[in-house]
Amino acid sequence: MSTSRLQHIKDHLLGEYTCAEMAAPYSPLTTHVLNTGMGVPGAHMALSLHRMDPSTSLWNLLTTGTTNDDGRCPGLITRETFTPAVYKMRFETGQYWESLGETSFYPYVEIVFTITDHSQKFHVPLLCSRFSYTTYRGS
Amino acid sequence: MALSLHRLDSLLVIWNLVTVGTTDEDGRCPGLITTKAFTPGMYKMRFETGQYWESLGHNSFYPYVEIVFTITNPNERFHLPLLLSRFSYSTYRGS
Repeated sequence: MSTSRLQHIKDHLLGEYTCAEMAAPYSPLTTHVLNTGMGVPGAHMALSLHRMDPSTSLWNLLTTGTTNDDGRCPGLITRETFTPAVYKMRFETGQYWESLGETSFYPYVEIVFTITDHSQKFHVPLLCSRFSYTTYRGS
Repeated sequence: MALSLHRLDSLLVIWNLVTVGTTDEDGRCPGLITTKAFTPGMYKMRFETGQYWESLGHNSFYPYVEIVFTITNPNERFHLPLLLSRFSYSTYRGS
């Protein structure tokens, strides 16, 4: 059995998903990465979504993905899985800048946020350059 | 606002607490680290933003903010501001 097939099975057993596999009609949580340093979408940036387990204070990996050409990553989570909790979006910004042949001040960016009303839509964008970043709660 | 500075132990891959502090009335926190202790490495500034907004009687989208950054040349000066609202934040590398 190939290692990628083993990884695929492992991911499903552990409840981890990639954005492509989810293919949800829409996710109540969305993101958008913008490369403000170059004025382009932050395309092909690896990212992951995690949820904090309140009893252990450990982060559980929910989804991994890569932004598309538009800097977006559809299918992050399903409505059913999106329970009230503390979540973390991790963006592999250091890898991203490295792939463009640049250094960056931040090896990665983690944005931790609290979801109390999971019936709403939440948009967690990242506007980043090599030496700065911004995020805001959108919908 | 309570904050803390941490340095990554690259061998053990754990964060070591370097400094804890609270911002003054100007939002600054002098004396974060000495030149001697400021070695090249990966650092993390953690800001207790959730507590801050709570003390003002508000809720906030972010329970805390952690900014992880890499120092390769510790001879330079680094300024790590946090521009913050209940539903957004920004940071940049200053000097």
